[in-house]
Amino acid sequence: MIKLLRIELFKIFRRPRTYISFGIVTAISLIIQLAMLSGGKDFVSFGMQGVTDQFDIQGDIINGYFVTYIILQSLLVQIPLLVALVAGDMLAGEANIGTLRLLLTKPISRPKLIMIKFLASLVYTILLIVWLAVVGLFLSLAIFGEGDMINMKSDAFIMILKNDVMWRYVAAFGFAALAMTAIAAMAMMLSAFADNSIGPIIATMGIVVVLTILSSLELPLFNLIKPYLFTTHMIGWKGFFDDQVPYGAIGRSASVLVIYTVAFLGTTIAYFNKKDITS
Amino acid sequence: MEPIIQTQHLSKTFKTFKAVDDLSFSISHGDIYGFLGQNGAGKSTTMRMLLGLIYPDSGKIFIEGKEFNNNNRKLLSSIGAIIERPDMYGYLSGWENLKIFAALSGKKIPESRLYEVLELVNLRGREKDKVKAYSQGMKQRLGIAIALVHSPNLLILDEPTNGLDPQGIAEMRSLILSLSHDHGKTILISSHLLYEIEQVATKMLIIHKGKKVVEGKVSDLLNPEETLVDIKVRPDETLQAKLAVSEWTQFITNQTHATVTLKMNIANIPTLNKWLVNNDIEVVSINSTHSLEAYFLSLTQ
Amino acid sequence: MMKKIMVLLMMMIVAVGAKSMEADKLYYALRDKVMKVKDYTADVKIKIDVNYMRIPEVKGKLFYKAPDKMRLERNGGLSVLPKKNINMTLSNLMPTGTVTALDAGSETISGKRTRIIKVIPDGESNIVLAKLWIDEGALTVLKTETTTKDQGMILMNLEYGAYSAYGLPTKVLVSMDVKEYKLPQGVAMDYNDPMEVKQKPKDGKPRKGTIQLTYLKYDINTGLSDNVFKKPSK
Repeated sequence: MIKLLRIELFKIFRRPRTYISFGIVTAISLIIQLAMLSGGKDFVSFGMQGVTDQFDIQGDIINGYFVTYIILQSLLVQIPLLVALVAGDMLAGEANIGTLRLLLTKPISRPKLIMIKFLASLVYTILLIVWLAVVGLFLSLAIFGEGDMINMKSDAFIMILKNDVMWRYVAAFGFAALAMTAIAAMAMMLSAFADNSIGPIIATMGIVVVLTILSSLELPLFNLIKPYLFTTHMIGWKGFFDDQVPYGAIGRSASVLVIYTVAFLGTTIAYFNKKDITS
Repeated sequence: MEPIIQTQHLSKTFKTFKAVDDLSFSISHGDIYGFLGQNGAGKSTTMRMLLGLIYPDSGKIFIEGKEFNNNNRKLLSSIGAIIERPDMYGYLSGWENLKIFAALSGKKIPESRLYEVLELVNLRGREKDKVKAYSQGMKQRLGIAIALVHSPNLLILDEPTNGLDPQGIAEMRSLILSLSHDHGKTILISSHLLYEIEQVATKMLIIHKGKKVVEGKVSDLLNPEETLVDIKVRPDETLQAKLAVSEWTQFITNQTHATVTLKMNIANIPTLNKWLVNNDIEVVSINSTHSLEAYFLSLTQ
Repeated sequence: MMKKIMVLLMMMIVAVGAKSMEADKLYYALRDKVMKVKDYTADVKIKIDVNYMRIPEVKGKLFYKAPDKMRLERNGGLSVLPKKNINMTLSNLMPTGTVTALDAGSETISGKRTRIIKVIPDGESNIVLAKLWIDEGALTVLKTETTTKDQGMILMNLEYGAYSAYGLPTKVLVSMDVKEYKLPQGVAMDYNDPMEVKQKPKDGKPRKGTIQLTYLKYDINTGLSDNVFKKPSK
């Protein structure tokens, strides 16, 4: 099992494409950090008008913790793409280059192969999140320093003391990893259905974008289905930055994500185990 | 001894297309088993079923006497295969590709064995190059190395000469013969070209539209007695009468005043030719085809 | 008879006047005491309690310089104070200049008997009316209710300790009106409990906010420079 996992990881990390994701995460982080360095004041004063009308806030609002939050929020849309880039390629990509049929003539059961490929995607996903923590959080802290963190929700202004922030980020990155695991499982599932790698990557992205829009639209019809969309739960990491961390809600969101992950993975195994390989 | 592969009433339908239809055959240890059929006849589908890539709708497969199915994939460790193109991870070196598939073979394989198979397929020295830089022939040979690395008893080679230049085809042919003679491998090889099969195979199976047409020893199927000789002559009214009283009449299958077709031993053509000349029949051309080849061609037309 | 009535009336007026003079005097005496403090630096704890402001209790140094400078410093941290933060000091809730002060009864606040006076500034002022609950013995204000032009009603409850001689409280609770706050949708992308049905709709009415200041230690009249109150250029 470990040997097979190592082989899958070897295949992932020997491919130049894999590092594009890490490059994109770095680039987006740097762009936001630069933007915050130059125009952060305006951005903040725009967002805080509702508060600064009545309150006088002094000190470095734009500190590392704040910038990290902005980066995380921005990357919410891109990271699924980067996860899909690898996870969506796990089966379809091998079908596309023709190695899948050779791989599947080896004495390994297909469910086991799926699990190994999923684990390999998971390792990649977690490394991507860890990298995001490095360039998003630690680099932001290095550039902007630490300080009390403000969090602007649509109906509340939240301030978190600086010695109370770090654990929240640890938890938030953990939650993000869970959310991305669900994405990885979905991309793998789509990958099992396809024989080319572009399809599942685009399909993953399409589903995430459409469902995210559904999740954020305030329409009665959508409000009914919202609780059942995994995209609604993917932003659960934000819960850790509330003054009263809604552990119940976060726990439920995490459960929904786990259920989705298991369902995606189960579907992948059930489908792929029966699939005739004609690629 | 048990057949290394045996199928019983194997059938597979894709949607409405019947790819393989009630196919039964068996391959014995030591055979070079030629699998002949036009494109789309069901060769690849059959081979994929033997390898667990495609699941049969009905019928059974036995590998070394044990029934093979998706829960019994361990049996695959006694098979090495190239299915269609020898596709590999182009961004990895030949060595890395070989190592990956060796590790997946279910057997513990020492590095020395890797060098051994590279030597065998004549890729030693090029193993550190990325596979995407390989020629088609090199990829094919690396494919063979991968198929061989875990020392399987049976090699399944699907159209191994496809896309190769004449020199590559010749090399592949001698490699296949050497694997059989020097290394004792049983080989299942498919082709849509009869002459490729007849040059290497000891046994052969022709399939058409998923069904078995004929199976047997190549030496039997390609019996020289079964050669079809087509003769064209300058139109001659006396031809039929002359032939009718000759010893050749027993071989004639078809004739006009300008053409004759005989089914006979290919060795008798010079004698026949001499007889024609001696009887003042002006020969325009003499062509010989084996009856199996003619039959196979008729299938593909 | 007429004369008697007139005298009586005069006496009543004088009596009322005398009483009124007393309220004035009390107010001026109180104001003089409060105004003696020209500046201070205090270690404070602040808890802001506004429904949409979720801020933990913070510790900091509060700098004050009469008449209208105030700054909270939190050793590199963020400091959040109401915009009109100066209204959190008693001195700014007491009308300046000449005033008209009227008695408005009495009340007992946490065991202390207080005299209530209403103060109306004679001149132009942001303060329309100030109502003060005064502990006459200690000459301290325990409660104020100030109506301002720009900020509506500001309520203040004060507790005293070691610094009552300066008229400086150890605990202040300020209540004021705050407006509703709403960030435009789409800017925030909130995470709310997705399993929960929609929250109660907002009515848009002004809400009360309170700020609780606990003074731990004062340094009084140290001659603070104006520079202390300059906002950092960054």
